[in-house]
Amino acid sequence: MTDLTVTEAAAGATALKRRRPAARTRRRHRGLNGRSLAVLVFLTMCALFFCVPLYVVLTTSLKTMEEIRQGQIFALPDTWTLEAWRFAWNEACSGITCEGLKVGFWNSVRILVPSLILSISLAMVTGYALALWEVKWAGTFLFLLFLCAFVPLQIIMFPLIAITRSMGVYGTILGVAVVHAVMSMPVLTLIFRNYYKDIPAEIMNAAIMDSGSFWRIFGEIILPMSGNILIVVLILQITNVWNDYLIGVTFGGYNTQPMTVNLANMVTVSTGTASYNVDMAAALLTAIPPLVVYFLVGKFFVAGITAGAIKG
Amino acid sequence: MPSVHFEHIVKAYGAVTVLDDLNLSVDDGDFLVLLGPSGCGKTTLLNMLAGLTDVTDGRIMIGERDVTDLDPKDRGLAMVFQSYALYPTKTVRGNLKFGLSAAKLPREEVRRRVEWAAQVLQIEPLMDRRPSQLSGGQRQRVAIGRALVKHADVLLFDEPLSNLDAKLRTEMRLEIKRLHDELNPTVVYVTHDQIEAMTMATKIAVMNGGVIQQFGTPDEIYETPANLFVASFIGAPAMNLKAARVTKRDGRVAGVFDGGQTIALDDYRFRATPEEGRPIVVGMRPEHFAPPGAPLDAAAATLDLPLQHTERTGSDATGYLKFDDGLLALRVEPGHAARLRAGETVRVGFPRGKANLFDAASGERL
Amino acid sequence: MSIRWTRIAPQIALTPALAVTLVAFIGSIFWTIYLSFTRSRRVPDYAIDWSEWGRQYARLAQDAGWSTALWNLITLGVGSGLAIVFGFVLAAMIDREKRGESFFRTVFLYPLAVSLIVTGVAWRWILNPTMGLEATLHRIGFENVDFNWLAQGDTAMYAIILASIWQSSGFYMALMIAGLKSINSEIWSAARLDGVSLWRLYIEIIIPMMKFTFLTCAILLSLGVIKAYDIVLAMTNGGPGQSTWVPAYFVINALSQKQNLGYASAAAVMMLLITLAVFLPLVLLTAWQNRRRAAQ
Repeated sequence: MTDLTVTEAAAGATALKRRRPAARTRRRHRGLNGRSLAVLVFLTMCALFFCVPLYVVLTTSLKTMEEIRQGQIFALPDTWTLEAWRFAWNEACSGITCEGLKVGFWNSVRILVPSLILSISLAMVTGYALALWEVKWAGTFLFLLFLCAFVPLQIIMFPLIAITRSMGVYGTILGVAVVHAVMSMPVLTLIFRNYYKDIPAEIMNAAIMDSGSFWRIFGEIILPMSGNILIVVLILQITNVWNDYLIGVTFGGYNTQPMTVNLANMVTVSTGTASYNVDMAAALLTAIPPLVVYFLVGKFFVAGITAGAIKG
Repeated sequence: MPSVHFEHIVKAYGAVTVLDDLNLSVDDGDFLVLLGPSGCGKTTLLNMLAGLTDVTDGRIMIGERDVTDLDPKDRGLAMVFQSYALYPTKTVRGNLKFGLSAAKLPREEVRRRVEWAAQVLQIEPLMDRRPSQLSGGQRQRVAIGRALVKHADVLLFDEPLSNLDAKLRTEMRLEIKRLHDELNPTVVYVTHDQIEAMTMATKIAVMNGGVIQQFGTPDEIYETPANLFVASFIGAPAMNLKAARVTKRDGRVAGVFDGGQTIALDDYRFRATPEEGRPIVVGMRPEHFAPPGAPLDAAAATLDLPLQHTERTGSDATGYLKFDDGLLALRVEPGHAARLRAGETVRVGFPRGKANLFDAASGERL
Repeated sequence: MSIRWTRIAPQIALTPALAVTLVAFIGSIFWTIYLSFTRSRRVPDYAIDWSEWGRQYARLAQDAGWSTALWNLITLGVGSGLAIVFGFVLAAMIDREKRGESFFRTVFLYPLAVSLIVTGVAWRWILNPTMGLEATLHRIGFENVDFNWLAQGDTAMYAIILASIWQSSGFYMALMIAGLKSINSEIWSAARLDGVSLWRLYIEIIIPMMKFTFLTCAILLSLGVIKAYDIVLAMTNGGPGQSTWVPAYFVINALSQKQNLGYASAAAVMMLLITLAVFLPLVLLTAWQNRRRAAQ
């Protein structure tokens, strides 16, 4: 009985709203003055909390060290200078080399490209085979992948070092890229598989009757339908690989370490006086590529991280 | 055009057997309709023929070829799907071409066939559109076109009209029938719609619960249903099925309904004469009743029944009379129906030789 | 004898992924388990002394660093659990107050696109005692505030928790918004007409309806906490002393600093067990949800 009244009342309310837009506007106004305002103020304060680190890092990177030593961390720079940025990019020391972050930047790019190609092509084909073709052991394999998706690198770190070393790629750019592809394969496969699972069975049946070729159907029918998920996974993987530290530091050699490792070395192993403006400029330089991706295609980024999180 | 044979087909999913020792043969050029309610196994059977579902046991022959273990594309089949299953990223032309270029046909041949199909189905102006830019009827035509270009020996249809509205459905029914008459392929067509079955088929296999209940021409199925399921499934409005008992008086066989009315049954061709008192079910098609007011001298049964209500369906009308606990449906002239009043007692007659009799226990035709 | 390519081709296509799974994951896990029973130091030594096969685990049990790491894991888990609560509050507010929705979402989520190393560097700078937040607060009159968390063993973990919350709240917010959007919108109208207060509506109706979203968040958080390494490295590098060690840090430390492969493997196996303990409820939850979806 209550349920019924509730539903009827709700239906009535919707009808009422539709008939009298004026009443609705008035209610919204009252809302803004009261609770809505409080909510907006709270949200704005939270937004400030989220923005503070970015603000502090950015202003510090534009100050001189004398100004920083005055301890006015929230103040805007008196003299704006890009000197710290230039220094971080060109001259800052990471470990024993002092060639700046640009080394790490280009290493990161050189790691990113092959690891994207490897991981996405492997995950895509595997997800396609698991979702759209009949394979008897697909269920077992999916469960294994689900499990592997959550295995921390530490647990398999030494064996992976031994394997890459025996393959001769340990300490190389390719080695880092391969380990990235391996570590991300389970999650990416599950994402592709869940996407392909929603392709109507009849389309696959039609394609199987028309061609029957696994690769031809993939190339001509499925790949053209994968645009959205491809962008989502691409962004997910770009941020993952770019932001990774552990794989880079473990599998990269002296000259093949990615930007995050360079940055960490630069700020933790400080010889002489710390140059906070340079540190902050370096941190920002490292953060800029994924942030640009995020602000350009945020919608896909959100889809990517939530898809990567809850899959099975 | 080859024939198609299902031989001792078994299909089991784990412990559940959905088809058990099923046998069915279609002659070349036949238009076979697999008809039955949903879940009766008709789509499973079709998918096994197509190669999309594995056969647990038994074999499938197309002509002289055993295709049981062949890949779908090697079976010489083409299929039209319920949801059309057009490739969304390809144009109409791309959809028609895909199967042909996959078969590595020469480019000129592909072009010729695609043009031919476009012409036959009158979809030439649509060739460069994508499926999302087509109406339901147009998609259906493209789906049929995609099957036709393959010049397959056997065409399969899986409920192809069920997503269309009533008017288009009638149109496409005629279209498919026309194509069959012109090109004469062997067709296996799955539907739950008896009108489609009756209008298009040369042979119908009525299925229920994984078992073929009856296999025959549309007329055979309609006129002499093999059991109660077929009798009740085929025909709209449905056949009147009324419980009765066999009596014999003066050597003449008759049925006595539970309400006491009798019907003469000595014109019925019994497979074996039933014994006295045997419970049976008498089936009477609504359109076989003599119209109210017609002479009833030769009728097998004459019934005086109160009218419950009448129903007009355009060109036709159905009257419902109270009979025992249930209703008796009969066809009446629409003009006549308008004059009938609810509650009024109507005298109707059922002619000789038209009844269908079934054993009440087994449901089989007597 | 005919070969059905539609059966074989997909299996061939799956081989690389299967090989990766069996070698790089399954095989490597067993490799590590095996190593944990050996006395391997810098290089693997595959002899197992059966009289003392559990010695690495016994040592682990007595290692103060390891128990610190376990405690810190729990502290970090509970502490960054606040990110779920925070994320829910943000999601609920954004969801009801549509104004500025996309702006706030963008702001709350951007830390997720930033490397944890960068996050650590930024927060360490803010928490710098002589030039950071504390100095500013002291100057404007709050003489007694103490934000020198990173230098003290008993507060350094809080700094890491703070940075984690900053980094991950947006993520839980995104999951929560997805959960809230799946709730029938008529419930809100119905509640308003019934005069139910917003608090009661959330506590009695909305939160119970979202229990699976919360559970998913909690499991994901736990799995993330187990992996936590970058943030610790960038904020404190395990210090001061061993006060911010976590298992993920412990394993790397045993491997690269102590050069003790057998010991590191034993710690890694413990990490695996912890992961499995969290993973199991996730499997059950997923199975349960699938069954529920199938039943509907």
